[in-house]
Amino acid sequence: MGVAQATPKPAPRRRSPALRKAFPYLLLAPALAYLLVITLYPGLFAIYQSLFVVKFLSWSWTGLGNYSAILQDREFWAALGNTALIGAISLALQTGIALAIAYFAYRDPMIRGWRIIYLMPMLFMPSAVAFIWKLAFNDGRVISDLLSRLGLIEGNVDWLGSIWLSRMTLIIADVWQWTPFLFIIFVAALQGQDQEIEEAARLDGASWPKIFWNISLPMMRPVIVVAITLRGIDITTMFTNVFVMTQGTPGGASETMSYFIYRQGFRMFNFGYASAASVLMLVLTVVIAQTVVKRAFHSGKK
Amino acid sequence: MAKPRKSRGESLLLRYLVLGGWALVCLLPILWFLSIGFRPRTEVITPHPIYWPTFSLDAWHLLMSDWPIALYLRNSVIAVAGSVVIDLLLAIPAAYALARYEFKGREDIGFYILSTRMMAPAIVAVPIFFLFKTLGLLDSVWALMLIYAAINLSLVTWIIRSYMLDIPKELEDAARTDGAGDLTILREIIVPACLPGIITAAVIAAIFAINEFLFTLLIASTSNAYTMSVALANFTGGSDGIIYNAIALVSFIAFVPILILVILIQKHLSRGLTMGAVKG
Repeated sequence: MGVAQATPKPAPRRRSPALRKAFPYLLLAPALAYLLVITLYPGLFAIYQSLFVVKFLSWSWTGLGNYSAILQDREFWAALGNTALIGAISLALQTGIALAIAYFAYRDPMIRGWRIIYLMPMLFMPSAVAFIWKLAFNDGRVISDLLSRLGLIEGNVDWLGSIWLSRMTLIIADVWQWTPFLFIIFVAALQGQDQEIEEAARLDGASWPKIFWNISLPMMRPVIVVAITLRGIDITTMFTNVFVMTQGTPGGASETMSYFIYRQGFRMFNFGYASAASVLMLVLTVVIAQTVVKRAFHSGKK
Repeated sequence: MAKPRKSRGESLLLRYLVLGGWALVCLLPILWFLSIGFRPRTEVITPHPIYWPTFSLDAWHLLMSDWPIALYLRNSVIAVAGSVVIDLLLAIPAAYALARYEFKGREDIGFYILSTRMMAPAIVAVPIFFLFKTLGLLDSVWALMLIYAAINLSLVTWIIRSYMLDIPKELEDAARTDGAGDLTILREIIVPACLPGIITAAVIAAIFAINEFLFTLLIASTSNAYTMSVALANFTGGSDGIIYNAIALVSFIAFVPILILVILIQKHLSRGLTMGAVKG
């Protein structure tokens, strides 16, 4: 009762020019503050801690001692090499398989069904996937049994006993779980491309493999670059599978950078040393991010 | 080629060999692992693998009696859901600024946000561990929530930004002439219009959070803060070794809801996974 009927139309807000200018920064501020705390602080802390030898609560200054030790540490170089090697092989296999199945799947009438089946490995928790393959290769001896039934080998293979077999189990687990990631992206790119170009090529008598090679593949190049970049970054952080399946055996042949840092820090409690390794890895990451990733995302947006 | 081919002529046999073959590669390990979840422990690790096990609910009973699965599930849900809420609150305004405003440093800020995704968890693991130790947050679900939010913030921001870029500017212009302020426009127009993007981002962030392993391993040092992912890795019966049938069962308990979520956002998946760079 007695309430005025006509609510006055709100006058257009006029902000001061300064506020107008600051407005986007204000919108970004909370997110940026959060990310800075979680990246910049750890970065600085790692640099600081890397200058000390840390034994439990006592920190003793060593300057660049950790760095000079690490650069002569064969385990460090081995871990770096393994990360690159296992990552490169794994990424190449995933890309090849994903392209091959995407090529056959995108024109198939049952594409929705295929997509859900192919997605499944990616939807398991990585720790669960690591256990699947640990059981299949090592503890349950299933792979050995299947291979010997096919007459390919005799008896049991000790998958952790040889350098390449141990690495191979990591590669297989990664390929199995993450090929879907690339497949989903490739198939979407193939489905999204201009059907008319394909039709025209078909009418000219071009075969599907030729269309794929000469038309589709060049057109989806930016997509492939973005997808491989994202996957490549993730592969370099490989940890869970190493932790569960191999723990770096035999003799560090399957140890990745992430596992090396974890082992130095949380198994051997060489926190200063682990931090020095983190700083080196961070430098590598920043270099890669500034070169490869920046370019990939610029080409991907067109 | 001289003669034009039939449109379906390209060997269907080869196509279905490849597609069917890969489907088997995907499905067989999953089905076999499912069979592990429903067999007695004595049939898991044997001199010769058993492919047709006897059916048993041993693992289920073990989970229900010895294993605080309700606690781990609760930890996972609180940490994951909380982290997604934090991400959305921070990312929506940030994405709006990146998508709609011209300002100095926009490209660099956007790229900085993106690049935090590239940092290996192991790099920040030691400092984060000490940070949470100082804050007295070790071994708590809240620490996990903050970490998951940090891991996914870049991804959520970029996905939402990509969907905001698709909204026609005219929508906002109309509201602006009606006198609506920027925040009103964001709330009343932009957010509803990019809801599919927000949902996609939330689902993908939730999946990554559920899967997170290294930080959870370090921060959750006792079972009080274990989530499903790390509890799984600690599911060993001491001297008995790893209890595989229980692990299998737990991984399927986590798998089913994730599968349902992903099927719901299927159409947006490729765009989400590439942080908006590839429009599916």
